[in-house]
Amino acid sequence: MSEILPWITLVVCAGAALARLPSAVRGVNPTLFFIFLLATAAGILSIEQFYVVIDGALGGINIAHVVLRLIVFATIYLIAVRVTKGFGAPDAHRMIAGRPGLAMLGIFAAALVTVFLLMDPGASSVRFRDAGAVSARNEALLPYYWAAARGYLAYVSLALLPALLRSVKESLPPLVRTGAALMAAGAVATVAGLCLEFAPTQLLVVAPAVNNGAVVFYTSGLILIWLARVKAASGGGHGTSSTER
Amino acid sequence: MPLPAKAFQRWLNGVAPDTSTADICRVSGVKRTTLAQQLVRGKVAETTVVSISRAYNLNPVAALATFDTYSDLASSSLPPSDKELVSQIATVDLLRAVIVRTAPTGSTGTGSTGTESMDPRQPELSPPPHATSVKNWVDAIDDGELRHRVSTATGVAPQNYSAQLTANRLAPELAVATSRAAGVGLAGGLVATGLVTEAEAGWPRGARQAALDRLSDGDLAALSGERLQALGKTLRRQEQDQEQTERIWENLV
Repeated sequence: MSEILPWITLVVCAGAALARLPSAVRGVNPTLFFIFLLATAAGILSIEQFYVVIDGALGGINIAHVVLRLIVFATIYLIAVRVTKGFGAPDAHRMIAGRPGLAMLGIFAAALVTVFLLMDPGASSVRFRDAGAVSARNEALLPYYWAAARGYLAYVSLALLPALLRSVKESLPPLVRTGAALMAAGAVATVAGLCLEFAPTQLLVVAPAVNNGAVVFYTSGLILIWLARVKAASGGGHGTSSTER
Repeated sequence: MPLPAKAFQRWLNGVAPDTSTADICRVSGVKRTTLAQQLVRGKVAETTVVSISRAYNLNPVAALATFDTYSDLASSSLPPSDKELVSQIATVDLLRAVIVRTAPTGSTGTGSTGTESMDPRQPELSPPPHATSVKNWVDAIDDGELRHRVSTATGVAPQNYSAQLTANRLAPELAVATSRAAGVGLAGGLVATGLVTEAEAGWPRGARQAALDRLSDGDLAALSGERLQALGKTLRRQEQDQEQTERIWENLV
């Protein structure tokens, strides 16, 4: 089960990136294509076969995992900037792209790299699975590494959540509202992913599902919002003709 | 809330004995899957009864009255009040009446002489329901406490009731409950929601036009103004929603 989840995530992200390619070539919101491209890259690095090859090229000491986490930071940052602008949430926008937001990004990225450098180098292991087994020092440091990795995502998700939930309640096109709801679910899953790092071990079995679910929720939310536009464009009107006569 | 399937089957047996469901659906235009689904769930929609009774030349209101929930529809013969009647005139028709009344005689037309089919003095009122007919109807019979009384009588939360009015909908049972609580003719709400026509509800022919003619110029102008203001609010809200949607798309598509 946990072997297939990263593949699903990868297929969804790669599909979205491919679908955005024509628009990006036309110059329509190329950032969005870039977001899905980054997500695809993150998806590739989450799959064992690819991870081992790429990390091998980077020295085989799990540098690829730090790169993966930084890619994820960049992806969620770019998504959040778009979402706060689109959903009209200036406060959330400041908390993410303003001075406090960038400071948070810097702190978490620096913490991530610092903790990684403090750890003893270990052999390539996808999702950093075996890092704790290398030494007692690593085992002690690993929770901090994951706290830094998931902390920034949870911070951004919490900042986005109010704006997303507000949009679900507003009278926007149904597909847009569903999209916002899916992204809100993604935000909740992200925060849950952080909480699971501190949960008792029995709960850890659901962690892969929660973390992959977060990616799938965010991505499919964006896809739905896009489909809403496609539908509105093909339907001709703006879908607001209910007051006619 | 809808009608129990058992009572419906009994009624159907009386209306169309020895007729297959397929035939009933073909004659009445009710989709066969829809009816089957309603029967399986044990709840038949009022619209189904209305469609079938029309197909068999029965009065839909009388047909509904054979069901327990609507039994008092039969005994109710209060004629609609002028306010109710006027509430069922579309805003465009009210505005047309304003123009016809205020324009000096002889210059009401557009100036083109070729078309004689349209008599500007007697424009046909479009049949109810119109875009805001449910809310306008409730406003017309509301003494200020009506929503509260309906809520107490039916157990439906006021905000759910208001939401239905805003969406220009009202469940038939609630529509009748509203009439009952307001002490007006019980079928009025069914006309406003479009479930039955004014003729089927026993409203005299031309009653709306007559009520409109009885409105003084001042009342007509004031009423049209209220309608326009409400329309403006709705349109503005829609425009804001549209703007927001566009902004979302601009950034996320």
